[in-house]
Amino acid sequence: MAQLSIRSVSKSYGAVQVLDDVSVEVEEGSFVVLLGPSGCGKSTLLHAVAGLNPIDSGTIVIGDRNVTNLPARDRDVAMVFQSYALYPTMTVAQNIAFPLKMRGLDRRTSDEKVAGVARLLQIEPLMSRLPRELSGGQRQRVAIGRALVRDPRLFLFDEPLSNLDAALRTELRAEIKRLHQSIRRTMVYVTHDQTEALTLADKIVVLKAGKIEQTGTPLSLYDDPDNAFVAGFIGTPRMNFLKATVADDGKALLAGEARVDITHLATRLENGRAVTLGIRPEHLDEKDGVTLSLSVDVTERLGSTSYVHGALASGESVVAERREDQPGFGETITLRFQPTRARVFDGEGSRIR
Amino acid sequence: MSTVATASDPTRHFFQPVIVCLTVASVALTLFVIWISLHDLSLMRAGREKFVGLDNYIRFLGDPRAMAALWRTVLFTTLATVIEIALGLAVVLFLDRNFAMKRLVRTLLLVPIIMTPVVVGLTWRFLFDSATGMANYLLSLVGIAQVDWLGSPRIALFAVLIADIWQWTPFVILLVMAALESAPTDPLNAARVDGAREWQVTWYVLLPMLRRALAIVALIRAIDSIKAFDLFYIMTRGGPALSTETLNYYGYIVAFTNFDISYSLAIAIILTIFTNVALLTMYSVLFPKTGDR
Repeated sequence: MAQLSIRSVSKSYGAVQVLDDVSVEVEEGSFVVLLGPSGCGKSTLLHAVAGLNPIDSGTIVIGDRNVTNLPARDRDVAMVFQSYALYPTMTVAQNIAFPLKMRGLDRRTSDEKVAGVARLLQIEPLMSRLPRELSGGQRQRVAIGRALVRDPRLFLFDEPLSNLDAALRTELRAEIKRLHQSIRRTMVYVTHDQTEALTLADKIVVLKAGKIEQTGTPLSLYDDPDNAFVAGFIGTPRMNFLKATVADDGKALLAGEARVDITHLATRLENGRAVTLGIRPEHLDEKDGVTLSLSVDVTERLGSTSYVHGALASGESVVAERREDQPGFGETITLRFQPTRARVFDGEGSRIR
Repeated sequence: MSTVATASDPTRHFFQPVIVCLTVASVALTLFVIWISLHDLSLMRAGREKFVGLDNYIRFLGDPRAMAALWRTVLFTTLATVIEIALGLAVVLFLDRNFAMKRLVRTLLLVPIIMTPVVVGLTWRFLFDSATGMANYLLSLVGIAQVDWLGSPRIALFAVLIADIWQWTPFVILLVMAALESAPTDPLNAARVDGAREWQVTWYVLLPMLRRALAIVALIRAIDSIKAFDLFYIMTRGGPALSTETLNYYGYIVAFTNFDISYSLAIAIILTIFTNVALLTMYSVLFPKTGDR
């Protein structure tokens, strides 16, 4: 049974539809990431689950309780905010103990639980400090501790790492992953960072303008995107999109000078139809296959690999991974890819399989 | 900023002379006032004053009218500050953060603050007139007998208090409203998720965040109430039977009715010392050195 069911939830602010018939099922113990660009409604959805934002229509079920009309305090969820949202006038220990105090837990049990959480998150030396005396990473640890302390049915994370610097973000990301593996509780995590989504999630829900674009495991979204938006949003550097037309009675695509075999597609395409060909940078460094010639503008050397930015003869810009050499500005190099790696999208951006 | 940076800061040529002038002026005036308060200068006996030491201060301690005025000042200041803060805070919490016509309400709140005390005093004097005033008319509608607002020694001080509350509660509302607007909302939501009821969110999270703003407003209001003069002058002139005479007002009477300048200045100095001690105590309670903020 699902631990969290979001069923046909819609919400609008005036004329702006921020959530449009969104349905998500979250399995017990799983880690689900709501991913999307800013303004896609992902935080609104999370706040709706927490009970901080009323919804216009739809149902939210946590465990076996319909919580749609319950206030936040009765939903038995814990939330970690992007801004940490620590209580500025309370010490770290008082912050972590607050949810227990609100539930009327006696002082001794509360102290024990707080100490346990402090040990788990290694924030014991900070317990008597005030939030403003802590660094960003320490604050977010305390916020996570405050969520952990009362063992809720559901953990909600609202872009918890966005305010941290890159190194700390990687460190805390791994820590959240470890935490999930050790306590195996249901977690819903909102982010606009596809790296966070890919590394943390069991399941990713990609949102755009209040609608679900695709739901799936990280690898299925990466390998088998339903549309050009998901294909472009997931993966760094992003997928290259090239204009192409159908030729040879639907057996091939013409993209510039390249001829791409598409006999593996189940759909038959009519000659002359305009489509978009998507190919990831990391699939452009093969030994054989379809060739494209790229005139190089910039090469980013990352040590283990390099990314070459340049333009095709058609003028379309392309990013390609390069593992063996690092071509310089003005050189023309040959890119090769396997036709089965190419993803084909129609004029509306929907995937053609 | 380090002291080295301050020393080499060329702007000091502008502000340091100002500070020196102000310091000299206030120190010189204070010393002059103290010096006069140690004499028996009276405009009735000009040119015949002599040094009397602490006589004026000893006279104050034995002056029942002065002691009563001091007590009235304490009572008025305490009541005005507490009621204005409590009422202002209640109004702010009652009005939501974003209610309709907020701008209009904010503008209307400025009206009592901007109004000159003379107009406020006269208006309330008319309202409180026992025969023709609106206050008694409204009371009569609900069947309460006439109240002699400004004529009864037991009530007059509270009548002035009501006028003061009417004029200055909006000031509290404006400042607390601004503090509330700049306070982060995420901790409030965090408390709701953590299981707090709305009153608990207010009590445990919101009010502690507003404490500093409230303390500053309370200090400002307390200082103003101690110095209050104009409302008393317009509404009651210290009467009836001295029942609304505050220490500030008594000092004025001593100087400009009795022309006893030295004693009046002694009263002013005592009021100053008293105010400073009270406010420093209040300040140290509201802003403890250790602990938060």
